Amino acid sequence: MTDTTTPVYPFGPLAAAEAVDHIRRLVNDRPMTKMTMPYGGDVWLIHRNRTARTILADPRFVRAPFRTGERQVPFFVPFPDFLRGTLQFEDPPQHTKLRKLVQKAISPKRVAAMRDSAVAFANQLIDDMTARGGVRNLVTEYAMGLPIEMLSNLLGVPSADRDKFERWSASTLAVAGKTDDEVTADMAELAAYMTDLIARRREQPQDDLLSVLAHARDRDETLTDAEILPIAFILIIGGFDNTATFLATGVLALLCNDDQRARFLTDPDGLAPTATEEILRHGSFALGHPIGGGGGLVPFVATADVEVDGQLIAAGEAVSLDPTTANHDPAAIDDPGRFDITRKDNPHLMLSYGLHHCLGAPLARMELQVGLAELFKRLPQLRLAGNPEYNRTVLTQPMTNLPVAW
Amino acid sequence: MNAKVFYTQPDGSERILEATPGDSIMRTAVRNGVSGIVGQCGGSLSCATCHVFVDDRDAGDFPPVSEDEDDMLDVAATDREDNSRLSCQLILTDGQEVHVTIPAVQL
Repeated sequence: MTDTTTPVYPFGPLAAAEAVDHIRRLVNDRPMTKMTMPYGGDVWLIHRNRTARTILADPRFVRAPFRTGERQVPFFVPFPDFLRGTLQFEDPPQHTKLRKLVQKAISPKRVAAMRDSAVAFANQLIDDMTARGGVRNLVTEYAMGLPIEMLSNLLGVPSADRDKFERWSASTLAVAGKTDDEVTADMAELAAYMTDLIARRREQPQDDLLSVLAHARDRDETLTDAEILPIAFILIIGGFDNTATFLATGVLALLCNDDQRARFLTDPDGLAPTATEEILRHGSFALGHPIGGGGGLVPFVATADVEVDGQLIAAGEAVSLDPTTANHDPAAIDDPGRFDITRKDNPHLMLSYGLHHCLGAPLARMELQVGLAELFKRLPQLRLAGNPEYNRTVLTQPMTNLPVAW
Repeated sequence: MNAKVFYTQPDGSERILEATPGDSIMRTAVRNGVSGIVGQCGGSLSCATCHVFVDDRDAGDFPPVSEDEDDMLDVAATDREDNSRLSCQLILTDGQEVHVTIPAVQL
């Protein structure tokens, strides 16, 4: 019997296999759905993978109306003002100038050069966990530690300051459970500290990102402290919480799927790259939890009437990529419900695409690859030793406790 | 008339694709799921993940490397060589045939 009902969107939590089936019918039915967000009004959520790529590569979709405040960002929560001052809300040519400077410092080559230190630090974290023994919380003792160390290295935070840098930065983490006032106070301290560090790097440059940005003004580009600080903030906020969550999700996904874990253990280093992509695409579907759909990444605004994939997006309307559906579009991903860490062609959009794709993508990928490979090489008997806990009170619902033993 | 691109993987295997003139070698690869060409930035010269080595016989068929492309080639995951290009900048023309080799790593 053919199911002729129109697939609803947003949709409530369904068993993962049912969610995959629902998405299949949804992307078959239409490329996008208009949804009214809790804040900021309506937005088109893009479901089809290819449609999303077309829109994300089209310069007629911009962010300026959000930056200027002309338009409220359609989102689940009120969008924090300080984020509207960051790179992700700039359009060309200003965006091009800033992005180019930062991208050179977080390039594939630069990140490859950081890999050895990531391996060493991951092993140090594992040494510490095994020395403590018993049941350990992998989120706080491993998944959070690696990204903040790498971020500190990249930015150039001196070793002596790591503890306080970590304390302030962790304050932005959903898992920290701090009050708004505490977060505000920590952010102010972090801003003061970073401003001071930028000044020191202006005077005495080192081999780090802040020095590169601080001295950009000596070449043809000019960057002020007011431009550098939001770049540092977006890296801290984007690079810490998200990476930690994906690493914890990846470990749990492997612990929940014996066949994939067995496969991974045959060659952790060799399989880490494809496993990382598959965890980004589908990890949250592989944990045995129900999956809901509705919402997307930071939106854009159409500057003209644009027809894409048969759907008219009118000038002034907002559009947003919905990675959950685009990552399970059967036209782009073969058998999208299968969790397969050896998947070779995996054009997922979890890190977005186009001009505003994840700034830290090379770094995030390297950290996930190293984090997964080192952990399972050292502790091949790693097992779940209790129920994972989540903070369901915040948007990203991060894992706060992943109890493991070995 | 369609263009034709010969993609050689690091292991020597080859895939031949018909391409629409006006499309880039990156876009043709991404659209058809050619492994090893990521093209995450969609052709805006900010990711260096569509690096290819252009066969010598075809190298002269494209405009020279721009300053922005040159900067990004410097930071690609696999060291650049004299015939390195970012394939998002290689726009195909009517009936053109191009042979490219994909580097061992892009990320």
